[in-house]
Amino acid sequence: MTKLWLAQVASVMRLELKKSFFARRGLWIYLLAFGPALLYLIHAIDVTRDHEHRQALLKSHPVETSTLQLIEPRMPEEKVLALVGEPYQRDTFRFGRRQLATFTRLHYTDGDSDYSIGIVNGVVARIDRQDRCNVEKDSAIFATVFQFFYLRLAVFFGCVGIFMNLFRGEMLDKSLHFYLLAPMRREVLLAGKYFAGLFAAVVIFTLGTALQIAALSWHFEPGQVAAYMHATGWSDIASYLGVTALACAGYGSIFLAAGLVFKNPIIPATAVMLWEGINLFLPAALKKISVIYYLQALCPTVAAPESDINPLLRLLISSAEPPAAWLALTGLAVVTLIVLAVAGLRARQLEINYGTE
Amino acid sequence: MSGVSIGEGRVTFDNVSRFYGEVLGVNRVTLAIPPGITSLVGPNGSGKTTLMNLMTGLVRPTRGEIRVLGIPPDDSEPLGRTVGYSTQFDAFPRGLTGFQVVASFLRLFGYDQTTCGRLAGAAIERLRMTDAADRKVAAYSKGMRQRIKLALAIAHDPQVLVLDEPLNGLDPLVRAETIALFRELAAQGKHVIVSSHVLHEVDQISDQVILLSNGYVVAEGQIQGVRGEIQEQPMQVLIRTNRSSALASRLFEFDHVVEARLEEGGAAVLIKTRDSGRFYRALNQLALDGIDIEGVMPVDDNVNSVYEYLIGGEGSR
Repeated sequence: MTKLWLAQVASVMRLELKKSFFARRGLWIYLLAFGPALLYLIHAIDVTRDHEHRQALLKSHPVETSTLQLIEPRMPEEKVLALVGEPYQRDTFRFGRRQLATFTRLHYTDGDSDYSIGIVNGVVARIDRQDRCNVEKDSAIFATVFQFFYLRLAVFFGCVGIFMNLFRGEMLDKSLHFYLLAPMRREVLLAGKYFAGLFAAVVIFTLGTALQIAALSWHFEPGQVAAYMHATGWSDIASYLGVTALACAGYGSIFLAAGLVFKNPIIPATAVMLWEGINLFLPAALKKISVIYYLQALCPTVAAPESDINPLLRLLISSAEPPAAWLALTGLAVVTLIVLAVAGLRARQLEINYGTE
Repeated sequence: MSGVSIGEGRVTFDNVSRFYGEVLGVNRVTLAIPPGITSLVGPNGSGKTTLMNLMTGLVRPTRGEIRVLGIPPDDSEPLGRTVGYSTQFDAFPRGLTGFQVVASFLRLFGYDQTTCGRLAGAAIERLRMTDAADRKVAAYSKGMRQRIKLALAIAHDPQVLVLDEPLNGLDPLVRAETIALFRELAAQGKHVIVSSHVLHEVDQISDQVILLSNGYVVAEGQIQGVRGEIQEQPMQVLIRTNRSSALASRLFEFDHVVEARLEEGGAAVLIKTRDSGRFYRALNQLALDGIDIEGVMPVDDNVNSVYEYLIGGEGSR
């Protein structure tokens, strides 16, 4: 019997995969998945061009990093010029009623960082340094974007699009009876559809994650990349890809079940998004009934949103010890299996009633 | 077959009702459908499709019990192997050719690829669709889609065929071939349950009919039997004879004859009688008495008349 069920699951997957990957209505899912990678690529191109520009400026206005670091506040402008030479750019502003006071900005670069020396009334008033992107900084940016945009929005809505359509889409197309008339348990049909959706979602979104990482690291020197990979790079990448796949599994189960219960995907999507969104403020026990709680625990870098949150809301944040990796995996598997079991029960009761769709 | 109860060889409905919220689908239906061609006849909304969806497990009864050759429709594994259903819906999985639709459906039965190909090819050939089998279903005409649905229903050689308006969209030649196919399947002892709006075709093909109106079964059985039970409408019989007037006056002597009218310019008599048994016995006697009878033709023991008497003009077409 198990052999028959496996063959049936494989047959359902064969039919569903085409739909999941090549649905015309699913173009927006690819945009969600690959949009961030495109933004990272634009960022990488911008950073590279910026670096080349700085290198060109360094050639025309050579200066050592160590010399630039000798500039101190209250240093006279003449001394600055004697120390590091003419800047590659000078901006002068006059202010005050009679415009007697002047503010001058002297721009230098050591090829990697930009230095902006603010001179007020002939002495150094401030020194601003803008460093070139580095791996640590970009890793933190990636962690934040990954957890607060990619997981909570892109993968989330991508799963809404893929999984809710598995049953609901066919109800609307009036083609679901094709499966329901086959000598197949409804649970087997559900499993086939779930695995097809999961395969499609995992391929699309892990590829999206991989492309983001590739785009993000593209502008670094090969040496920097090699050092990062040698340190935590491979395990970080594996974690991000794994978390993406687990997000697809978790959210996929929820939206597959929702597709069997609700006619309008907006209702469950909004409810689940709210629930996942307020996860930060939920008591520790309730946090565990969510997907994002376990996913965040599995991310290599935990993005902390607290600093950006309104102080009043910050008071409401409840702290729960993030679960250990094995516990997070088990918790996620339990949540997914419970939701799939509920979906299985619902599938057993499923009726064709195209007229009311 | 000895040892098999009637229910096991039939499609049975035991006091089945189905409501869609407040709306009635079918109500208190009790039926036992034997093998052969059974037609479900009734106007739109009379419950034909609901009855078909109930016996194929696509909807569940609100009340009552259904068995298809002893199998409850909830038991999708044996039911799917026993029943083939050609629905009224034209939708198929997207992007597939006619052959792929049938073969993919058969793959869901767990058959290997070779078996699926063979069975799909045979079913498509039976419906004379081989030439178009490799074209996308989306490009098919209505009639071709109808034939692919029929191929889908018969491909796994089910014992029970449920066909919702199977002749819709078919041209006359294919219609005749399809009716021949139904007869062939019925002759093999299968149940062929058909819904149709075209009453003269129902008349041609059916071994028995089930008349539905507003969710209720108003009559079931062989059409002549059903007609015989409609007591309030006298049976009409056309008799061809060269002594029409004499025959008419002799028949008027019987109290069960309520009307005798000369037809076809006096070459025939149309008789209306309240008791067909006594009428035919009397007619035999008149023939023995020397009245030359060239032909006897019941005029209203067809589905059209029965439909008209029982359901009225509401759905007649």
